Amino acid sequence: MAVRCNPGEHFSRRALMQSALGVGAGGVVMNWGGLTQTSLADEVRKQKKHCIYLFMNGGASQFETFDMKVGARTGGPFREISTNIPGSRVCELMPKLSQQMDQVAVIRSMKTSQVDHPGGIYLMHTGYQPTPNVRFPEFGSIVAKYHGTEQTDLPNFIKIFGHGDAGSGFLGPRYQPFGIGPDGSLPTFSGSNMAAEKELRRHEVRAFLEDQFAAAHQSELARLHRESYEAARRLGAARKTFNIDDEWEKNRELYGDSAMGRRCLLARRLVEAGVPFIEVGQSGYDTHGDNFTGHRGLVPSMEHAWAGLMTDLKQRGLFDKTLIVWAGEIGRTPSINNRAGRDHYVRCWSAALAGCGIKGGQMYGESDTEGVEVKSNPVTEGDFFATIYQALSIDPKIENYTGVRPIPLAPFGSKVVSDLLG
Amino acid sequence: MNFSPCSRSPSIWLLLVGVLNAALLVHAEDRPLRDVIDSEISAVWQREKLTPAAPSSDAEFLRRIYLDLAGIIPTYDEATAFLKDQSPDKRQQLIDCLLDHPRYAQHQADLWDLILFGRNPPGFGTDKREGIQNWLKEQFAANRPYDEMIRDLLRAEGNSVEQGPPMYYVQFRNQPEDLNEKVTQTFLGVQLQCARCHDHPFDDWKQTDFFGMAAFFARLTVVEVGKKDNIAMYVIGEKNSGDVLFTGPAKDQTPGKKGEPIKPKFLLGGGLDEPALPEGYKEPKLEEKKPPPPPTFSRKDKLVEWIARADNPYFARAIANRMWGQYLGRGIVHPVDNLSPANEPSHPALLDAITIWLVEKKFDLKALTRELLNSNTYQLSSRGTSGEAQPMWFQHARVRPLSAEELGESWRIATGYDEATKDKPPEKTPSRFRPLNRDYVVRFFGQPNNGTGDFQGGLAEHLYFNNGELGSLLLRTPGSLLGTIINKEMSGDERIERLFLQILSRPPTTAEREKFIEMVNKKDVEDRVNDLVWALLTCSEFRFNH
Repeated sequence: MAVRCNPGEHFSRRALMQSALGVGAGGVVMNWGGLTQTSLADEVRKQKKHCIYLFMNGGASQFETFDMKVGARTGGPFREISTNIPGSRVCELMPKLSQQMDQVAVIRSMKTSQVDHPGGIYLMHTGYQPTPNVRFPEFGSIVAKYHGTEQTDLPNFIKIFGHGDAGSGFLGPRYQPFGIGPDGSLPTFSGSNMAAEKELRRHEVRAFLEDQFAAAHQSELARLHRESYEAARRLGAARKTFNIDDEWEKNRELYGDSAMGRRCLLARRLVEAGVPFIEVGQSGYDTHGDNFTGHRGLVPSMEHAWAGLMTDLKQRGLFDKTLIVWAGEIGRTPSINNRAGRDHYVRCWSAALAGCGIKGGQMYGESDTEGVEVKSNPVTEGDFFATIYQALSIDPKIENYTGVRPIPLAPFGSKVVSDLLG
Repeated sequence: MNFSPCSRSPSIWLLLVGVLNAALLVHAEDRPLRDVIDSEISAVWQREKLTPAAPSSDAEFLRRIYLDLAGIIPTYDEATAFLKDQSPDKRQQLIDCLLDHPRYAQHQADLWDLILFGRNPPGFGTDKREGIQNWLKEQFAANRPYDEMIRDLLRAEGNSVEQGPPMYYVQFRNQPEDLNEKVTQTFLGVQLQCARCHDHPFDDWKQTDFFGMAAFFARLTVVEVGKKDNIAMYVIGEKNSGDVLFTGPAKDQTPGKKGEPIKPKFLLGGGLDEPALPEGYKEPKLEEKKPPPPPTFSRKDKLVEWIARADNPYFARAIANRMWGQYLGRGIVHPVDNLSPANEPSHPALLDAITIWLVEKKFDLKALTRELLNSNTYQLSSRGTSGEAQPMWFQHARVRPLSAEELGESWRIATGYDEATKDKPPEKTPSRFRPLNRDYVVRFFGQPNNGTGDFQGGLAEHLYFNNGELGSLLLRTPGSLLGTIINKEMSGDERIERLFLQILSRPPTTAEREKFIEMVNKKDVEDRVNDLVWALLTCSEFRFNH
């Protein structure tokens, strides 16, 4: 067949799979660090990095977590406590985490562009604003693509009570998230009550039919169909990874006795089992009313679980290879409304990173005295995701194609915040 | 030929020359379009030194044509009748018969619903859109000329429930820029989205082209005028004032900077001549629940007129290419909705020929479909060696996944569920996915869905196959497949024959007969037959149209 350089072809699924980096022939890769495309792909894979996204659905308040404005008119009722970093203070709702702040880098100068939940959730999962013509992939799918392995028993992108529905976007169903319920339960239809003997019998009949079809058609679609059927069978074998009950008793103290604690323990088990990306969600932060009661109810179990997760990962030697990302889709207003609530705010808010070479023990960027505007070092959503990709050894400038349009992993013009990287 | 609003760009002249050549191609010997297709396609095989696949077998053709035209597999009776039929023109007859079948309109409406809305359209209220779905069905049942259909769609008269078309705009309420992206891509095959934030990197589009087109939509407004059967009815109003604001390249934007109002401008063409508003004009306040008064001058109607003109260089070409892609698996320009100069057609003369043919036939989509499906190219076997699902040179037929609707309804035919339940009193609003749960079927099989989409296997659909609801299709009552098979009078061989013909629309091969004969002769035959039925309903041969 003649070689045609039709840009549309750059996005063929086959090209994506043949090239580990997923940039088909002609795809543009900026070579940061002077590595060639192929060796970069190998490098990325060899490092086997993981990412756990602690997602605060609804938008956690920076004022009740990492950027308190004690004494300001709208500072709220909570006190600050000291941390294991001299001079650095966090909210009293986070006693466990305060003793591990040397591992955490807080960004106090997030400045993003989507002020409502659907747009914000999309933005803080993809790095891009929603647009009708391009289906951007979530960063979980991107990490699954560059750090995942084919033919594994477990999916490469798992959401435990995850949020957002952008999914794998134009990267295709191969990188779709696999969703686990808030209580760690497997999705509908994961369980089978069939006798093993019958299951095997059915499998053999099906294999015979698939062999015949494959012999006549050599169809790529049929191959993919069959591969995912095999993956579904293997998942049956890996089902025990999701059952944390045997480990829960001895870890209850470490993670805290909460649903969030159980989710974080499951995330650690999945990292251990080789899963590159896990989102762990906690919901209820949209505190337009009773912001303070709301945070008093939510933050302690979250911070306990987060602190336990870091301790556990360190003990198992996984912390240096696992990036923890903490963020919601929006921040909350400096002002307090007449229902003791805080509304949506994206001009200045906080997020945090830990592990995987992140330079912990720092508060990056600054807000002004009342937390209204960023005072120094603003970080946009693009910068945030560029930094995440860089921490995971994935070049944020890599481009994938949707149709003829090249899409870099982090939006064009984003900057890696190198001060955050070790 | 008159290209009045858009005669300034050189690319139009190139296009024009192409179209004239194509006109010669079609008219030279007054050949049927199907022959032009076959000769153009095979000429490229020679150039590329490709050997085409063999013609499809009758069974292959049968299943493919049912799914492509009606969105369902044939019944056992339909399959056996066709396979037995000895008449030489039986394929042509079947194509004609299915084109006039009510399922044709239903299936085309399904496809267009996805083109216009996708599975999860934006906009409040767009999930309940039976109004426009029924409208689409009526258009295809009446074989409305495509240009008239699109004109009516975009003029959007009436309301979203009783008439339908206004629902298209509801999804882009107060979003003229989003609406513009979608309209230009869907109906003109022009992708302007890059030009929304910066001048297009490799097409000619400027940001002002984007905003000039968006300006046509700037004054549209969605008004709820009441409810019918508890579903909100929307109408589309248009104000006399209001503009889109252009703030320059995204990188130069600063907070608080107000943009310049942009005047409507046709793509590649001039601005719109519009009467000036009276000095100090004030927009009247909309009355609640009342359709707004029509504007004194409608920007939208001017745009609609321009879009659906036969001499709009994009409009006819976009639908010709889309129709080709629908049946042949990929567009001559692919993806079908990107006619950018940077995205060249694989068979330029052929695309021109189909375009001009379609314009001459006054956008008769059914007539075009008939030509496409009667071509030898469409009727090739999918058994090829390239392994590509959508071969660029069309040397074998494409393989595509069945949509959620196609699967749900075909499973009912394959298992005899429809036959076994046909005398049951119908439910008030029977689900198209009965007895399966619509949400599951759409979630697991809803995308890709447009018949030309890429497919990759997903884990979730197999969990559904393995542990889901398929068992509820397997009735044992008279008329059902199991009810028929387990009949004691039937020999093992007859059972196998029936299973394959009813589920896969073909007789079993010798190897299959040998492999399965023992299974269907077992004592606990029902359990074993169940295994075989499950495998046939979930295997690749069923999952795809090939």
